[in-house]
Amino acid sequence: MSDTYSVTVTDPIVQVKDLSFYYGTAKALHNISLDFPKNMVTALIGPSGCGKSTLLRCLNRMNDLVDKARVEGSILLDGTEINTPAMDVIELRRRIGMVFQKSNPFPKTIYENVVYGLRIAGVRDKAVLDETVERSLRNAALWDEVKDRLHESALGMSGGQMQRLCIARAIAVNPEVVLMDEPCSALDPKSTARVEELISELREKYTIIIVTHNMQQAARVSDYTAFLYEGVMVEFGVTEALFVKPRHKQTEDYITGRFG
Amino acid sequence: MNRKVLKRIKRRDRIARYVITVGGMAIIFSVILILFLIARVAFPLFQGARTEMVTQFPLPSSTPAVPLVAAGLDDYREHPFVFDRDGVVRFYSPHEGPVATELRLQPPVPSARVRSVERFAGLSFGVLWDDGSQTLEQVHFTSSFDEHGKREQDQQVVRLASFPPPLSGTVKLSLVRVSEDGRQTQVTLLNDGSLLVRQHVESEDLFGNLSAESHEFALSGQPDEEIAALALSGGGNTLYAGTDQGTLLRWDLSEPGAAELRDRLPAFPDRRAITVLALVFGDVSLAVGDAKGGVSTWFPVRVNAEEEGKHLQRIHTLTSHKSAVKSIYPSLRDKSLVSMDVEGVLHLDHMTSERHLLSIETDTPLLLSSLSPDGRGLFAVDASGMAHLWEVHNPHPEVSLKTLFGKVWYEGYDAPAYMWQSSAATDDFEPKMSLTPLIFGTIKGTFYAMLFAVPLAILGAIYTSQFGNPRLRGIVKPAVEVMAAIPSVIIGFLAALWFAPLLEKSVPALFVSLAFVPLFLLLAIVAWQFICKYPLCKKLDRGFEFLLLAPVLVAAVFCAIQLGPVAESMFFGGNFQLWLFGETGTRYDARNNIIIAFALGFAVIPIIFTMAEDALSNVPPSLKAASLALGASRWQTVWRVILPSGSPGIFAGTMIGFGRAIGETMIVLMATGNTAIMDWSIFNGMRPLSSNIAVEIPEAPVDGSLYRVLFLSAVILFVMTFVLNTVAELVRQRLRNKYGRF
Amino acid sequence: MKHFWKKGEPFVWLTGAALSITLLMAAVLIVVVVVNGLGVFWPSRVVTATLQDGGAVMGEVVRSESVHEAEGERLQLKIGNRDLYGLDFRWVDESAISRLEYADDTLVLERMEYGNFYGRLVSLSSEALAVAAPGNPFSQLRQAHRHVMQQKTQLTKVDEELAVVSSRMARTQRREKSLLYKGRSASDPEFLELRQEHAALQHESEALMQRHAELAGELHAYSATFADVSGRERTMPLIELVRFYQPNSMSVFSKIQYYVVRLVELIFGSPRESNTEGGLFPAIFGTVMLIFVMSLFSFPLGVLAAIYLREYAREGLVVRMVRIAVNNLAGIPSIVYGIFGLAFFVYGIGGSIDRMFFPDQLPTPTYGTGGILWASLTLSLLTVPVVIVATEEALGAIPNGVREGSLALGATKFQTLTRILLPMASPGIMTGLILAMARAAGEVAPLMITGVVKIAPALPLDGTFPFLHLDRKFMHLGFHIYDIGFQSPNVEAAKPMVFVTTLLLVLIVLVMSSVAIYLRNKMKKRYTYGTF
Repeated sequence: MSDTYSVTVTDPIVQVKDLSFYYGTAKALHNISLDFPKNMVTALIGPSGCGKSTLLRCLNRMNDLVDKARVEGSILLDGTEINTPAMDVIELRRRIGMVFQKSNPFPKTIYENVVYGLRIAGVRDKAVLDETVERSLRNAALWDEVKDRLHESALGMSGGQMQRLCIARAIAVNPEVVLMDEPCSALDPKSTARVEELISELREKYTIIIVTHNMQQAARVSDYTAFLYEGVMVEFGVTEALFVKPRHKQTEDYITGRFG
Repeated sequence: MNRKVLKRIKRRDRIARYVITVGGMAIIFSVILILFLIARVAFPLFQGARTEMVTQFPLPSSTPAVPLVAAGLDDYREHPFVFDRDGVVRFYSPHEGPVATELRLQPPVPSARVRSVERFAGLSFGVLWDDGSQTLEQVHFTSSFDEHGKREQDQQVVRLASFPPPLSGTVKLSLVRVSEDGRQTQVTLLNDGSLLVRQHVESEDLFGNLSAESHEFALSGQPDEEIAALALSGGGNTLYAGTDQGTLLRWDLSEPGAAELRDRLPAFPDRRAITVLALVFGDVSLAVGDAKGGVSTWFPVRVNAEEEGKHLQRIHTLTSHKSAVKSIYPSLRDKSLVSMDVEGVLHLDHMTSERHLLSIETDTPLLLSSLSPDGRGLFAVDASGMAHLWEVHNPHPEVSLKTLFGKVWYEGYDAPAYMWQSSAATDDFEPKMSLTPLIFGTIKGTFYAMLFAVPLAILGAIYTSQFGNPRLRGIVKPAVEVMAAIPSVIIGFLAALWFAPLLEKSVPALFVSLAFVPLFLLLAIVAWQFICKYPLCKKLDRGFEFLLLAPVLVAAVFCAIQLGPVAESMFFGGNFQLWLFGETGTRYDARNNIIIAFALGFAVIPIIFTMAEDALSNVPPSLKAASLALGASRWQTVWRVILPSGSPGIFAGTMIGFGRAIGETMIVLMATGNTAIMDWSIFNGMRPLSSNIAVEIPEAPVDGSLYRVLFLSAVILFVMTFVLNTVAELVRQRLRNKYGRF
Repeated sequence: MKHFWKKGEPFVWLTGAALSITLLMAAVLIVVVVVNGLGVFWPSRVVTATLQDGGAVMGEVVRSESVHEAEGERLQLKIGNRDLYGLDFRWVDESAISRLEYADDTLVLERMEYGNFYGRLVSLSSEALAVAAPGNPFSQLRQAHRHVMQQKTQLTKVDEELAVVSSRMARTQRREKSLLYKGRSASDPEFLELRQEHAALQHESEALMQRHAELAGELHAYSATFADVSGRERTMPLIELVRFYQPNSMSVFSKIQYYVVRLVELIFGSPRESNTEGGLFPAIFGTVMLIFVMSLFSFPLGVLAAIYLREYAREGLVVRMVRIAVNNLAGIPSIVYGIFGLAFFVYGIGGSIDRMFFPDQLPTPTYGTGGILWASLTLSLLTVPVVIVATEEALGAIPNGVREGSLALGATKFQTLTRILLPMASPGIMTGLILAMARAAGEVAPLMITGVVKIAPALPLDGTFPFLHLDRKFMHLGFHIYDIGFQSPNVEAAKPMVFVTTLLLVLIVLVMSSVAIYLRNKMKKRYTYGTF
């Protein structure tokens, strides 16, 4: 779009080109073009219903589950188009992990939750599984809290722990990209702080794309920020620049809290 | 990820998706197929008859020279035969070639030729010879099996009776019958219009001595009109005559040597001529064919209650021919008739259902025709000497929409009625398959049961969901759900063998308790107002009222039972059953509708209760809070806020309970008398559709009319419950959308 | 007070009363069943009533009621001795009784035929005395009876051998028939061989029959003479006695012992006297097997259909309609299912099987008549909607986030289903299954037209090849109630047995449904996370 303010990313891992998305006849995303930089945290912000979650769910084709959904345009992962029959959706989802707004641990033990992704891929080697559990839980900064009760039900954890467990579960399969859909919206401030801290640590290994409606959070954790409004990408840029000196009037109105 | 693993799990997923989709769709599809399959079994009831040409062959050319007088057909439809004027019976075997077996009847006098032949009951033929003498011939087919298991038939003609010519006068028409006890009867119409009866009676006295007596007398009482047709019942007991002026006459010949004229009436207002008379299978109904092509059936009916005798009345009118009816051949299997007019057109009609089953019209008009004794073969000879042999497919002639749902005038009844009586001891029984009394029974039983169950269930649900203590609710609700699981056979058994005898002894106690229960409740509520001021009782009040009421109710019922006999002697003269019969003429059945109301009500209360309770509990609590906050009392809140929001759910529950009550089988089977009467009295039983199926289907021959009618009643049950359940389900789906979960 | 009325408080009480009535009715039902059912096997005292007119009556008091016309009560006595009196029960006016007493030596005999005998022991036959140690007559009788019962095992053994031989004979006959059907002539060697085999078997069976007659004759010599209250004597072979006791001199302990023996007989014994006495084993077995075979069909089918509806089918008008249809099916009268089962399974599929695989047996049907397989299939159709609804509900209760979480980790739909969803839904599915089983246990109407019988000659599972006989007819507890309560010639005498059967069935069904409801309510409380 001509009025889109955008910066060029040098090392993109995910490239969105002219993406439109429809729920039935309703168009939810309008010709979005956007490059997500590798090993960075990119935040998607915007008012409720602006399409940021939809965009996120397009990236690992979670929208396939929605009836009557239709995608136009292209999304490239490492230069490969993902919206083709040749692209295996299971493979894709293993490369692009996801963490949801509501934490959704399975009613299994903590251990089984973490290794679920490996088990469904047919990994049976106990040593590998043990190693993965420890690594993932350490990466999710949860190891010390739960190492003594790995074989207890995950449903007995606190809300913040559950969300971090979900993150551990997502990174257990070594994805390249982790999508986070408002991961802290249901958490208390203390848990939120822990998760934010975690995100900062994870960026070294993973590319993280996070949807948030909390601008402070976006400012704190992200390197790049994209602002969406009514399905249109209004502005994309380095987080600091976007927050300090937005180039678009709508962005400015939004981050200064005039609406949204 | 490992490629191989990926491939494997993906293949599994594809297979699973395929299996689940195909399997799931197939299951759902096949389950829905049930209705279609049941309906398919019932459907042939309404199909008409059809014929299938078996063969057609020219009769050997010599025969037209000697005119044919009668035709017949065996049960295997293999050997049609004809009588010719020379007294020769010719059996054809069209399957084996044009050969014919000839049998010559012994004429009573050497040169006599056959004048006419009357066919009746099976393969019996009354042969009138031109000298006026008459013989009764019966054709016999005997089957034997050779070593290859092939069937061979042998024909034989046996003479059962023989009457010499009358002493004077020329014979115009003559009928002869031999009854099972050997009584021979001949009725002769002479050219001068007089009717002559000859009877040979053999009787055995107490000591076993045989004595024979003969009677010969002329009948009197016939009008001055020309008698055109005669019919005589199989035992020779009743004689019918029809005149060219349309007068019908009936004589009773059952007393040997005497005749009594029972009927003499003009059959039709326009006094059209009667051309043919024949007795329908069973010898009760008389089929009348007239000059205008009309075919009707008649039987004697008690016209008014005071009068002793019965008089002929027209009962059924069948499809008319275009020209005068020439002959009527009754079926020997059911109440069907084959009638033929002078133009040679054949009609097959069924008397009870008044269904016109088929018409046959050939290029050359038909002259003679005959049904095989089992009614499945039709043989006819046309004017050009061509013989036709048809197979008749006529599985359900006695069923029509009218016989199933309308009032039908059955043989032996004085008025049209709704009747269900599917079988009887004799073959010539007229099946009475009206579904109306059964549907009535279903509706009646269900109606009273709902009258009992709906208020209890809904009020109980209101209490449990709105007023009851929440902890208590956690007990009451599962308890009621467990109540729903009690097998209906147990409820039915207790109702019939425990409750019914109890009630029979103390019907008045039931009436007394109807008065006592509200009275005691009222007293209890008033009394509570004084007691509840004490702090100890305060705890009990809210949410536990129903526990307090339980002893009150028990006491009320107990007092009622104690006072029952007193009430009985005060109001009902000491015996309620007698009083009921004397005052209202209603007989008290031990297994009556009161029992059904209780038992069936008991079975559906949990269903209605559970759904109503769900509906009421799902009304958002904010509504209730808002109302209470405005100062409304808890009853006002429920009445004005909760009930309107929950009413669709309550309605749905009632519909589903209604559907369950309609289909309930064991309770009604055990606790109703299963008599198909139509009476709204609560002291009578009934016969509902469901128990009727259970009772009759084991005895119904597969693919017979009864079998299919029972399937039809299953379809009706299905449709009734389907409508109720669909309405309920639509309401529930709307509610679900409104409140999320339901 | 006035305020109380204005607030509508009486209506609250009215609703409370409605609930009260409902629960009271249920309680009355349970109490009636329990009271009547539990007391049946308790040996009650036998009274000897001397009448004013000099006669005497002996029997158990069944009940008493007040007489309509006159003062006082009248008693209904179970007088037994059907072979002597013709009737089991008799009403006696209390006013006509001059004396009531409970004689210690009053004896109750439970017999193989003609019901109970009430009277006293007169003498034992010499053969019976020979096997008993001298002592009091009652203990002699006891010893002799024990001896006879031991001897009887030999007779039973012979009977079993006879049964084996006759089933083998039936098989050779069947094979002969099928050879004939295949067009073999009567002189075919195979046929002759069969004939020979048959003759040998015939011989064997005759020998066994002879042996049976000898043994029975020997055993019948052990007899005893008893006298009824009026002194009429009756000699009975001991082998005809099932058991006997002196209720008036029994201690509580021996009464309990007797009760337990009767209970064991009830559960493991076979019925006698057109089902009104003896045990329920074939009916219990038939019911359990019916439920088992039914579950085998309805459980996988129902779960499969529910999974399809909830997880695979695309939400839309079709699925909505299907859901209406499924709910509708749950409401279709069971008799309609029964008639469908008759037309579709018995005459349709069963008839085709007969024409294809057993044409030599026709016109005698093998599968083309009611049997446990067809009854189970009919019931499984009837219960499939219950399983579908419960499974769907259980799957629907699982939050969507769980599904997405699994899919986002790269799981296939099938993996999500088997690893996450089904384990989570299992209590709900179990609930559905148990409810379906409870419904099947209590359903009678459809069975009546698809294969349940009054007395089945053989169990559907036994020691003869091929062990599982799904074509056989079977007995069922629910039908048992209907049959002995309504079809038996002597309803009054059958009542105790009906109540016992009812109690058993009520217990089974109530336990099953209570478990199901408990499971479901427990399940409702789970999966609440994620909704804070």
